[in-house]
Amino acid sequence: MKLTGKVAVVTGGATGIGRVIALKLADRGAAIMIADINEEAAAVTAAEIEEISGRSATFTTDVTDVETCRELAAATVDTLGPADFLINNAGIAGAPGWQERSFSTEEDWKRTYQVNVIGMSNVTSAFRPQMTERRSGRIVNIASIAGREGRPAIPHYSASKAAVISLTQATALELARFNITVNAICPGLLWTPMWEQVGDRYARDNPAYKGMTARQVFDAMIEERIPMKKEQTPEDVADTVAFFISDDAKNITGQALNVDGGFFMR
Amino acid sequence: MDFEGKTAIVTGAARGIGRGIALELARRGSNVIIADIDEEPAREVVAEIQAGGTGANYCETDVTQQWSTDDMVEAALEGYGQLDVLVNNAGVGGAPGFATRKTPNIDDWQATFDVNVYGIVNGIQSVEKYMTDRGYGKIVNIASVAGRLGRPGFASYGASKAAAINVSQAWAFKLAPHGINVNAVCPGLIWTPLWQSIGEWRSSMDEQHAGMTPRQVFERAVSDAVPLGREQTPEDVGNAVAFLASDRARSITGQALNVDGGIRMN
Repeated sequence: MKLTGKVAVVTGGATGIGRVIALKLADRGAAIMIADINEEAAAVTAAEIEEISGRSATFTTDVTDVETCRELAAATVDTLGPADFLINNAGIAGAPGWQERSFSTEEDWKRTYQVNVIGMSNVTSAFRPQMTERRSGRIVNIASIAGREGRPAIPHYSASKAAVISLTQATALELARFNITVNAICPGLLWTPMWEQVGDRYARDNPAYKGMTARQVFDAMIEERIPMKKEQTPEDVADTVAFFISDDAKNITGQALNVDGGFFMR
Repeated sequence: MDFEGKTAIVTGAARGIGRGIALELARRGSNVIIADIDEEPAREVVAEIQAGGTGANYCETDVTQQWSTDDMVEAALEGYGQLDVLVNNAGVGGAPGFATRKTPNIDDWQATFDVNVYGIVNGIQSVEKYMTDRGYGKIVNIASVAGRLGRPGFASYGASKAAAINVSQAWAFKLAPHGINVNAVCPGLIWTPLWQSIGEWRSSMDEQHAGMTPRQVFERAVSDAVPLGREQTPEDVGNAVAFLASDRARSITGQALNVDGGIRMN
């Protein structure tokens, strides 16, 4: 579907999965607001988008700050127009230094919940008025298959992503009467900077992966857990985002779709 | 156009949801085998698709018979030289006259299982060798939101649709290493011949619906159950099938996607 004339906001859109989502939507003609805490990287991605769709903006955003989220929503209207699509992608795996720790600390729990869950709620609340007023909008939240089942490796992260799925359902019910759909995507195993750190942690703490490089741990996980025997890519996630925001999905809401090669089937 | 030069089989494509799926795949460039037990309306769908410029053939098919689904696959390969997509959509609400019974009888249980579950198994068994040899294939099974949660009334129908989801997972797992994606779609409330029967059943059996036309029963169900406040359409299901059967969903397998305006959130 062509997205010319539409406006999409991507939180955490400067790098990783968020960047690929932003480029995909720009490729279909949408104007993109890159909301990211990393100002420098956001500028680089925005420049890339300028070359594709011609319209982008950036707003330095800490999603844990309510006031900044409100300013982001206002800045989006001012620079690009009211948001048609909100992609809540910003997320973290723990408090600084989490990859060095074998066990989650209170700081890991608090910080992860603050960004992945409360931050998502902050941004959604900030954009809510401009979507309800126009009685249209699409919201896609990036959760994770980690949210499908509690696992001991990074429990604070798993719990936060389960909360994202729950938040998606609550928001979907709340906004349905305004013709706004809210869905979640649960990406599987993607080779990202986060997974590199997860891999290091496994190699250090889990006897089954002792002495492996992060990439070897990742490959072993794919072999063991993914029925399709392939890693997933940011492109896979971006294609699914593009489906959820299209007219084709106008009667789909409150769903969490695993993009994981069959890792989880529920 | 995701399906240019591709060939799809849609079972139960003569009317209702199956027709919607066939038309949506054709609109995206696919040749479509209209596999149905009922020739006359199936021929009309064939003509409609041919008028749109892609290929369509009728194949008389009884999905409860393995030889018949074998013939159906043969027809696709003979007609178009390849088969890319199988949509197992054929389904029944019960044995003939089910809408006149207060609770399902043994014939209803048998009929729903034969068509809604074993019909899918037959379809998959007829294509799996071909698709495995080729290392490519997309299978989408049409389940139902009724399969997400057991409810009294037509428990047989719900149970058969829950089984359809389970069957999808089983073959998703089995066929994943061969590059074949198997997913399910769970439609919500769609005004089809099946729902017409459900409406008749409720108005004659249920005091709350006494004296209402089937359409009125349906509309009440929509306003009671659908958060988005509107009925779903065969086109909605066709669009979701088209996504899951496309290469854009290459990393999605073993999933059941509700297209139900938010009735159920899994």
